[in-house]
Amino acid sequence: MENINKIRNIIKALGEHQDSQAAIALLTELGTNSPDDEIRELTAQTLIKKNTHESLRVVLISKGKGINDLSARVAMASINELLTLKDKTEAIKILDDTIKMHSDEEVRNTARSVRALMTFS
Amino acid sequence: MQIGKLSLHTTKSADKTNAQQTNKASNKLSTNPFGVSFKGNVIQADVFEGTKQASNGIAEKSKMFASAVVSGINNFNESFKSRMNSIVSFGKKVTTDVFDKIEKIGSTEITFDMEGIKNKLFPDREYSVKNLTNKSVDELHTMWTDLTPAAV
Repeated sequence: MENINKIRNIIKALGEHQDSQAAIALLTELGTNSPDDEIRELTAQTLIKKNTHESLRVVLISKGKGINDLSARVAMASINELLTLKDKTEAIKILDDTIKMHSDEEVRNTARSVRALMTFS
Repeated sequence: MQIGKLSLHTTKSADKTNAQQTNKASNKLSTNPFGVSFKGNVIQADVFEGTKQASNGIAEKSKMFASAVVSGINNFNESFKSRMNSIVSFGKKVTTDVFDKIEKIGSTEITFDMEGIKNKLFPDREYSVKNLTNKSVDELHTMWTDLTPAAV
């Protein structure tokens, strides 16, 4: 098995792990900072699937991560994952707070776009 | 009656003279006191003595043969006993060794790391999602960093 497949399985296992807080911390530390686009993409999707305040904050308001990633592939994958969420309440709440209060304009604009997509989805 | 007595006396004396003559003749012919003439020929060898010696020789030979047989039997018994002793001692040694081994086996605690064996046999199984979910986050952290040392 190639290393990328092993890491993919580790990320999936962290998504299902009982110790959710520690799993999110590890995904944030290693996954979102990975130089590999595929790993960052998978990490963002996993964090969004968790659908918790802590996990969504990482991919919605952090610059260079999740929907704000410099890679279009990672950003688009994150937005698609957000749109497929059944319960979007927490994500919309965070996006609204980001649009209102975030210091970085680029982050606010991205949040505004995603918020619009989620409204019409 | 007197004539008869006289004739009888003369007959006895004649017999005596004949016997003496015969003895003298035989003494002249052989020094062997037991020498006997047969039809005028004298056997020089002491046939009786010889016969006696021969019989003794046969007896001695038979005795020697018997003693050889007995000594042979004794030697065989000794060698057999020594071999048997060596076989018995070997058997005892083997038995004690086997018992020692059994005791060692009995006192040895054998443990199998089934999880490790499974992971060795099926290396992909270690990185299956099901297996990874049961691991702690710290372990997963270590595994991840081991897979991507440059990313740390």
